[in-house]
Amino acid sequence: MGLCIAVPAVAGTLSVQANLASHEPFAGAVITVSSAATHAPVAPVSAIVDQINLAFVPNIIVVPVGSTVEFPNTDSVSHQIYSFSPTKRFQLPLYHGKPYPPVHFDAAGIVTLGCNIHDRMVGYIVVTDATYFGRTDAHGAWSVPSLPRGIYHVSIWHPLLRDPVVSLDRDVTISGDQPVTTTVQLAQALKPAPLQATARSRDQY
Amino acid sequence: MNALRALLVSSALCTVAPGIVWSTDWELSADMRLVSSDGQPSLFDGGLGALRYDSEHEGVQVGRLRAALTEPLGDVWAVKVDASYFGQDDAHPLGVTEAYLEYRPYPVNGWRTRVRIGAFFPPVSLEDTASGWTSPYTLSNSALNSWVGEELRTIGVEGQLEWLGTRLGHDFDLGVNGAVFGWNEPAGTVVATGGFSLNDFQTPLPNGYVGGHSSAVFPEQSIFHELDGHAGFYVGAQARYLDRVTLIALHYDNRANPAAEDIALNEAWHTQFNSAGVRVDTDGGWTAIIQWLSGTTSNGPPDDFYPWPFHARFALISRQWGRQSLSARYDVFGITSTDEDDFGAEQGHAWTVAYIFNQGPHWRFALEWLHVTSEAADRATLLDAPTLARENQTQFSIRYTIGSGM
Repeated sequence: MGLCIAVPAVAGTLSVQANLASHEPFAGAVITVSSAATHAPVAPVSAIVDQINLAFVPNIIVVPVGSTVEFPNTDSVSHQIYSFSPTKRFQLPLYHGKPYPPVHFDAAGIVTLGCNIHDRMVGYIVVTDATYFGRTDAHGAWSVPSLPRGIYHVSIWHPLLRDPVVSLDRDVTISGDQPVTTTVQLAQALKPAPLQATARSRDQY
Repeated sequence: MNALRALLVSSALCTVAPGIVWSTDWELSADMRLVSSDGQPSLFDGGLGALRYDSEHEGVQVGRLRAALTEPLGDVWAVKVDASYFGQDDAHPLGVTEAYLEYRPYPVNGWRTRVRIGAFFPPVSLEDTASGWTSPYTLSNSALNSWVGEELRTIGVEGQLEWLGTRLGHDFDLGVNGAVFGWNEPAGTVVATGGFSLNDFQTPLPNGYVGGHSSAVFPEQSIFHELDGHAGFYVGAQARYLDRVTLIALHYDNRANPAAEDIALNEAWHTQFNSAGVRVDTDGGWTAIIQWLSGTTSNGPPDDFYPWPFHARFALISRQWGRQSLSARYDVFGITSTDEDDFGAEQGHAWTVAYIFNQGPHWRFALEWLHVTSEAADRATLLDAPTLARENQTQFSIRYTIGSGM
C-alpha cells in the first residue's frame, strides 16, 4: 500500500543582480526566466506605448507573446510609426490621437519601433514566451519569489548592450527553499544612451 | 493669440479616412534684434563689409519674420514651404526660402529612400539643424554656411538612400545622396565679387538677390536663373556613429557655362566645390563642429574667363546647460583672384561668441558678439579705401514662435 504525500514544489526565490562593466548597478535591464520543464504560458496583456514630446513612453516594455499594444500619439505633431523587425513588421500611417486598434504581437523577439518623421524616436517591445520577466530596478536587482524546483534559463537584454547576449545567459538551479542569487556582470561598457532631443537637435517637420 | 492658434489648429485638421486624422504642421516666428555695429556697408547695401548689419543699421532691426508649413499629402508625401521677411533694404526681402515636395516611404529591412522635388538647401551645413535652416548655436552663420544661404539652392530633384544600421543593432547609420538641379547658375556671383560675409540671410526665391540697386561694386543680379540649359549636380555621403558623431561630404558642380548670360545681364558662374564636415555631440551637452569647403567659381568668355578659387572653414564649440547654451566659433575664409588687379581677392577670419536662452518653446533670447577681420583688394580698387577692415557687431535677439508642435 503506497502512501502518496504531496511534496510542495514551491522552493525558493530567484534574484538577479545586474552590474555594469564599472560594477555599478545596471538599471532597466530586461530579465527573462524560463524553464522547459515547467513551462506555463503567461496570459497576454494589453499595453500602451504613448508618444510624448517626440519620444516613446515607455521606451522599453516587456510583454508576453499574444499581447496587444496600443500606440496613442499625445503629441500635437503627427507621428508615423513603423517596425521592420522580423518579429513584427507593421506601420501606423501618419496620425495623432488614438485612431488605430492595438497591434497584436504573436511571436517572441525584439521589436524596434521608429517614427518615419522623427528619426530620434526609438522604442523597443520585448515580446517573450518566458514564464517570468521584468526589468531591473535602480539597484540593478530583480527577483521572482516562490519558484518551483527546477533548472531555469536566465537571459538579459537591453538596447545598449555591447556584450553578446549569449555570453550573459545562464542556467540557474532552484533546488531548495534557499534563495538563489545570480549576478550578471557585463564585460563591456554600454553604448552611449541616446541624447535628449532638444531645440539644438530637432528633426525636420 | 490663443484664439488665432485655435483657429489655425482647427482649420488644419484633415480627415483622410475614417478614424485617421492628421494635421498640417505650421510655425510662425518673429525675431527682432537690437544691434550695435561699426561695420562697413554690408553686402546687402552693395558694400564690401562682412557683417549683416553695418554702422548704418544699428538699433532695432528685423531679424526675421517667418512662416512655415508642412502639409501631408497622403501618408508618405508632404509639401513643405518656408517663407521669410529679412528686413534687408532692397534685396527682395520677402520670399520663399524653401518649397518642395517630399517623398519619404517607410524603411524596408533597414533601408530608406527619400526624394525631394522643388527648392531646398543642399546638404552642406552641420550648423543649420533648427527650424527654418537656422543655427541653434549662434545668430550668425559661419562664413561657409552664410555663403550657402546667400547663393545656393537646389532647384531640382534630390534622392537619398539611407541604411538605418542603428535600428538593426549596429552602431552606424550610412547614407548617400545626389541631386540634379538648374536655375542656380549665377551662384558664385556674391563670393567672387562681394566676398564672404557672416550673416543669417537666406536669399529668397524666385527672384531674390544679394546686393544694392545703387552698388558700384556689386552687380544687381538674381541668384536663381537658368541661363544655358546645363543641369548641375551634386553627390554626397553621410555617416553617423550612434547619435554622437556625424560626418558629411559633398561634391557640387553647377556645370554652368561661364560665358552664358541673358538679356537682363544675369551671368552664369561655373561653380564647383568639395565640402566636408564633422559634428560631435556628447553626454555633457558639448557640441563640436568642423566644416571645410574649397572650390572655384569662373566667369567670362571662353577664351578669357576668370577663375576665383575660394575656401572657407570653421570650428565651433558649444556647451548646453538645460535651456541655455554658450558657443564660440572661429572662421577662416579666402578668395584667390587670378585677375592682375586682384579683383575679388580676399582673406579673412572671424570670431563669434553667442549666448542663447530658450525660455520655453515660444521665447528665445540670444546675445552674440562677432568680430571679423578681412583684407579685400577691391576696397582699394573700387572704394579707394584701406584694404584691411576690422568690423564688430553685437546683436541681442528676441524671438517669439508659435506653431502646431508647441
